[in-house]
Amino acid sequence: MQPQAPVFVARGLTKVYGSGDSRVVALKDVDLDIRQGEFIVLLGPSGSGKSTLLNILGGLDAPTSGTARWRDHELTGASDEQLTTYRREHVGFVFQFYNLIPSLTVEENVRLVAQIASNPMTPAEALELVGLSHRAGHFPSQLSGGEQQRVAVARAIVKRPDILLCDEPTGALDVDTGRLVLAAIAKVNAELNTTTAVITHNSAIAGMAHRVLRLSGGRIVKEEPNPRRIRAEDVTW
Amino acid sequence: MVNVLDIKVARDLWSMRLQVLSIALLVAAGVAVFVMSVSNYQALIGAMEAHYRNERFADIFVGMTRAPLSVVDRLREIDGIGIVEPRVAEPVRVIREDTNLPISGRVISLPAAGQPLLNRLHLVQGRWPDPLRPEEVIINAAYAEARAVRSGETIEVVLNGRLQGFRVVGTALSPEFIFATRAAVPLPDDRNFVVVWASEDAMAGAFDMKGAFNDALMTLAPGARPQHVLEEVDRLLAPYGGTGAYGRSDQPSHRFLKDELAEQETLSIVMPSVFFGIAAFLLNVVVGRMVEAQRGQIASLKALGFANRTIALHYFKLVTAIALLGSAIGLVVGRWFAIGVVGSYGAFFRFPSLEAQLEPWLLVAAALVSVGAANLAAASAVYRIAILAPAEAMRPETPPALHTFSWLQTIGSQRIPLQYIIAARTILGRPVRTLLTTVGIALAIPLILFGLYWFDAIDYMIDVSFGRIERGDAFVTFTEPVSADALYELRAIPGVLEAEVQRVVPITLRAGHRAYRTSATGLDSASELKVLRDSALRPIAVPSDGIMLSRTIARQLDLKAGDSVTIEVLEGSRTVREVTVRRISDDILGASVTLQRTALNRLMREGPVANVATFRFDPGQSELLWSRIRSMPKIEGSSVKALWFALFNETIGGMVVIGALVLSGFGMLIAIGVVYNSARIALQERAWELASLRIIGLTRREVSAVIISELVVELIVAIPAGLLIGRYLIELIASARASESFQIPAVIDRSSYAIAALLVIGAAIASFITIRRRIEKLDLVAVLKTRD
Repeated sequence: MQPQAPVFVARGLTKVYGSGDSRVVALKDVDLDIRQGEFIVLLGPSGSGKSTLLNILGGLDAPTSGTARWRDHELTGASDEQLTTYRREHVGFVFQFYNLIPSLTVEENVRLVAQIASNPMTPAEALELVGLSHRAGHFPSQLSGGEQQRVAVARAIVKRPDILLCDEPTGALDVDTGRLVLAAIAKVNAELNTTTAVITHNSAIAGMAHRVLRLSGGRIVKEEPNPRRIRAEDVTW
Repeated sequence: MVNVLDIKVARDLWSMRLQVLSIALLVAAGVAVFVMSVSNYQALIGAMEAHYRNERFADIFVGMTRAPLSVVDRLREIDGIGIVEPRVAEPVRVIREDTNLPISGRVISLPAAGQPLLNRLHLVQGRWPDPLRPEEVIINAAYAEARAVRSGETIEVVLNGRLQGFRVVGTALSPEFIFATRAAVPLPDDRNFVVVWASEDAMAGAFDMKGAFNDALMTLAPGARPQHVLEEVDRLLAPYGGTGAYGRSDQPSHRFLKDELAEQETLSIVMPSVFFGIAAFLLNVVVGRMVEAQRGQIASLKALGFANRTIALHYFKLVTAIALLGSAIGLVVGRWFAIGVVGSYGAFFRFPSLEAQLEPWLLVAAALVSVGAANLAAASAVYRIAILAPAEAMRPETPPALHTFSWLQTIGSQRIPLQYIIAARTILGRPVRTLLTTVGIALAIPLILFGLYWFDAIDYMIDVSFGRIERGDAFVTFTEPVSADALYELRAIPGVLEAEVQRVVPITLRAGHRAYRTSATGLDSASELKVLRDSALRPIAVPSDGIMLSRTIARQLDLKAGDSVTIEVLEGSRTVREVTVRRISDDILGASVTLQRTALNRLMREGPVANVATFRFDPGQSELLWSRIRSMPKIEGSSVKALWFALFNETIGGMVVIGALVLSGFGMLIAIGVVYNSARIALQERAWELASLRIIGLTRREVSAVIISELVVELIVAIPAGLLIGRYLIELIASARASESFQIPAVIDRSSYAIAALLVIGAAIASFITIRRRIEKLDLVAVLKTRD
C-alpha cells in the first residue's frame, strides 16, 4: 500500500501536567504527520509520552501548547462537545483493560457503538471480523481476556472508524491471545484502510507497522519506516 | 508519629467533604428533632410539676351549697385527708366598657392572711391585696394579658346580681387555672373568662357566707386511698349540698392539660423517635454504600497485610467522625430550636417558668444512636469485603447472574437505546442494593409528611368541629335555667339569624366503681346549629331515649351500647338515675354525653328550660346585637367563634405550626441528603463504566441517562411507597395516641402528599444536576490507566 497525504498533522505538541514542584512535562514540542491507512506503532518506555500523544490524537486530552488537526477537525481548542462528536464519528479505541460494559452482552457492547454511528457495519459483521460470532450472547465476565479484547476491537471498528487507536492492546494478554488481537487489528487496517496507531512497549509488535516511532522523555527520538512488514501470526515475544 | 491510616481518615473526610456534609446533616436533622422535641416535652412536664409543687395544687376538689366552717374540722378528721382549705367560689359576670360581649368568670376568696394553703397564687405582676382594703383583688394573668388590664384599673363584677367595682392590684398564675375554661366551651378563651381573687370579707358579704364556705380544696395524706377519701367527703358534705368530690383527673384545667401533654407527647416524643429511627436507618444505608464504594482500597489494604480489625477500625474512625460531626451540629441546632419553640409555648401553657431543658443523657443517647448506626453499617460493609480474598476484592464486583434477565436481551434487540438496558440490568442485577436505596428514598417521605400532617389535622379539626358540628357563630350561657321565652327573645334581636337552646348540666357518670365527671348536653331533636357526627362525618341523631356517649368515656367506664349507667346530676335537683347507653359516638373534639333536651329536663325534674343558647348572626349588626344580649337577664358569658379562631391561631395553632414546620423542615433536609447521597454514591461506583462510555463517543447526556434513569426508576417506586408508608405510620401514631379530649384524625391532605413528593423530586433534580456536572468532569484519561 502506498502512503497517501497526511490526515493527521501535529505541530509543536507540548503537554505539561501540574505546576510548580509537581510539574511534569509529558510531551515536548512534538511534530507528527500520519497518512491515511498508515499502521503506526509507537514504542517507548513508561512515561515516554506515548499515551499522552495518543490521547491527544483521540480527542481525550488537550495539549498545553501546539496544534493537532485531523483532516479539517482542529483538535486543539475544540470544545468537549466537538471532541465527543469527533470520537463518536471518527475514532475507534482499544485499551489495555478492554473497558467493556459489564452489564451488556458482547453483541450489545458492539451495538452500543453501532447505535450512535452514522454508517456502521452490523454488530454481527464486526464480531465476524474478530472471530467471535459464536460468543455474541455472552457477557464480558464469561469471556477470557483475549476474547474480551477482541470484543473491544469489534466495538472499536463497528462504526468503520477513520482512525483506530490502540493503547497496549496486548498488555494484559499472553502471546497466543495477543496474536489473535493483533491479527484482528491488522485485518481492519488492511481491509478497511483504517489509519491505525498502536502503543506498546513490546518492540516485537513493531514489525507489523508501516512506520515505527520511538518516544523517550516526551519527544519522538527516532522514526523508522518498516519496509518488511511481518504478519501478526509471526510476531513473537 | 501520626498513623498513616489516620492521615487517610482526615484526607478522605476532606476529599468527600460534600458527601460527608450531607451525611452529617442527615444525622444532624435526626438529632436536632429528637433533642429539641424531647427537651421541650421535658420542659413542659418539669414546669407543670414545679408549678403544682410550688403552688401546692390540691388533690381533691369539692363544691357545695353552703357549709359552716365547723365542717372543716370534720373534713380534716377523715382518714387520708391532709390539708383542707375552705373557700368561697362563685360564678360571676364582668362588664367592660370596650366590649358588649358578656364576659364570665369565677370569683374565689383569698384568706385574710394572704396566700391560701392550697392552690396558691404565683404573683406575676403587682402586689397582694391589702387585708384592710376589701376592694382590692388579684386577677388571672391570662385574662389580664388578653384584655390588657393593668394594676390599678377597676374591674366591674356582677356579684350575686349586684354590680361592684374592684381594684386590680396584681395578676397571678394558679395551678387550677393553667387553662381557664368553663363548661360548654371546648377550649380555653382567655379574653372571655376571668378569675378574680377577692378578700374573704368581700365575698362573705356579697354571697352571705359569713362563717361558711361553699368550696374546698384538700390534699391526700401519704398512703391514703383516694376512692375511699372521696366517698367519705361526699358522705360528710351531702347534707350541705355537696356536688361530689373529685380528684385531679376530673379537674377541668388538669384534664385539659393532661390531654394537651398527651398531644405534645405525640408531637414531641413519638414522632421524633420514629423520625430519629428512620434517620438512623438512612444513615446506615448511606454509610454502608459509602464504605462499599471503597472496595478497591479495602482490598489493597488487605493485600498489603493489614488485619481486618485494623481496616475496620480505620472505617469506624471515618464514620464516627461523620456521625459525631452530625450529632454536634444537631445538638447545637436542636438546642437553639428548643429555646425558640419553648418560647412559643408560653402563650398557651401558663406556667410560672418554662425553660428548655437539656439533659446530659439526651445528648449521650442521641450521639450513641448516630455513632452506633454508622458503625454498624461500616462494620457490615467492611465485613462483606474483608471476607473476600484480596485478589478477588481488588477486582470490581462480579456482575450478578445476568442471564436471568434474558427478556431484557429480547427487549434490547428492539429499539431501546442500550444505556437504558444498562440501567435496567443494574437495577435488576443488584436487587438488594436497589431495594435499600428505594426504601431509603421512600422513608424520607414520611419524615416530611410528619410535619405537614399537623397542618392538615388542625385544619380538619377546625373544619369539622366548627364548620360541621358547632354550626352557630356564637353562644351565650345563662346563670340559671331559663324558659323558652329566652329563645324567642334572642330570635327577636335584630341580626340574629337562627337560634337554638341547649341544656347543659354537670354530672358524674358511674358504672360499677368507675366514675367520670363531665357535663351532659340536652339537644333538641331538630337541632341544626349543633349536629353530632360520626367519624365518617355522617350526622348522628340524638337517641329518643337513653344517652349517647363518646367512645373515650365509654372506654373509661367500660360501657357498651345497651348497658345501663348511673347519672348523678351535680346541681339543682341532684337526681341520681339509671339510664341506658343507646349509642357510642366517635367524637373528634371533646368527650360528650348527649341526650334529648326533653329527657334531660325530665331527669332534672324541671320544665322545658335551657341554659345555653347558640345562634348565627349577621356580623354587620354585631355591635347592637351584643349590647342587646348583654342587657338580657341571667346572661353569664359568651363565646364568639370568630374570636375563638383568632385565639386558636395565636395559641395552639402557633405552637403546633412551629413544631410542625421544624419537623417538616428537617424531614426535607433528610430527604435531600438521602437522594443526593444515593446519586453521588451511584456515580462513584460507576465512574469507570461511565467514563468508558464517554470515551467510545457517548455524549454526556447519553451517559447521564444511564445513571439518572436508574434513579428515576427508584424514585418512581419510592415516592408512592413513601407516601403510603407515611400514611400508614401517621394512622398508626394517631390511633395509638388518641386522648380523651383530642382524637387527632389521621387526615392528610392531597396537597401534603404533593408537597412531599415534589420536594423529593426537587431533591432528585438537584442531584441530577450535580451528577451531570460530575459526569462533565469525569477524568477520561485517568480511567484508562486503571481497571477500577
